[in-house]
Amino acid sequence: MIDLSIQGPDKTPIGSPVQASKKTSEAQGGEASFGEVLKESISEVNRLQEEADGAVQSLASGQTTNLHETMIALEKADISFRLMMQVRNKILDAYQEIMRTQL
Amino acid sequence: MDLFAGMDISASGLSAQRLRMNLIASNLANVNSTRTEQGGPYRRRMPVFGAAGTTDPRNGFGNAMDRELRRVQVSGILEDSRPGRTVYEPSHPDANPAGYVTYPNVNLIEEMADLITASRSYEANATVISTFKSMALKALEIGR
Repeated sequence: MIDLSIQGPDKTPIGSPVQASKKTSEAQGGEASFGEVLKESISEVNRLQEEADGAVQSLASGQTTNLHETMIALEKADISFRLMMQVRNKILDAYQEIMRTQL
Repeated sequence: MDLFAGMDISASGLSAQRLRMNLIASNLANVNSTRTEQGGPYRRRMPVFGAAGTTDPRNGFGNAMDRELRRVQVSGILEDSRPGRTVYEPSHPDANPAGYVTYPNVNLIEEMADLITASRSYEANATVISTFKSMALKALEIGR
């Protein structure tokens, strides 16, 4: 299973600690961990939001008169934000499913 | 982000068609301009478009398929070399000694046809963008 420790390095991930630490070191050696990928994609969403904000500002202040570039920047920000929300919903669903487990 | 490569290509198409619209506006506005800074009547201007690679510095090498993508770029703006139309108007201040005035080589009908083509091309690129967006939203609906 993929390491789900998205809260930070100090929180102990769910599952056996030995296996988890092995997985983490493996993840650091090869591909980025899920948490890192998530952080990266969130910062990408943030970048697109800021880009859209800048485009709207420069259009409103008359620095650029490029209407379609502004609209496309807005659309990009919209779609990437929706994608982020879907990922968040999925993570929350999985979390709640686990919390509902009968012990 | 690779996700929006198609959108960026269509955006270049929109920019190119907008420039073309601007040139058509310039041609139509100067249909009767008999003087310019260079001397002589206004000459019809037209854009030359060329295909250019989509290089994203953040993307590094990128995908081999993505490297084949081409956006449109304006290679240059050329002046039409066809002769202007000459009209006999002795009272015109720019008339030559024989009484003939050379008007710009702008053909109204040609410009109107170009105008329709440019606006349809703009529309086509805008449709690509909105289709791209609805495809992305459809893909996001899978998770719902």
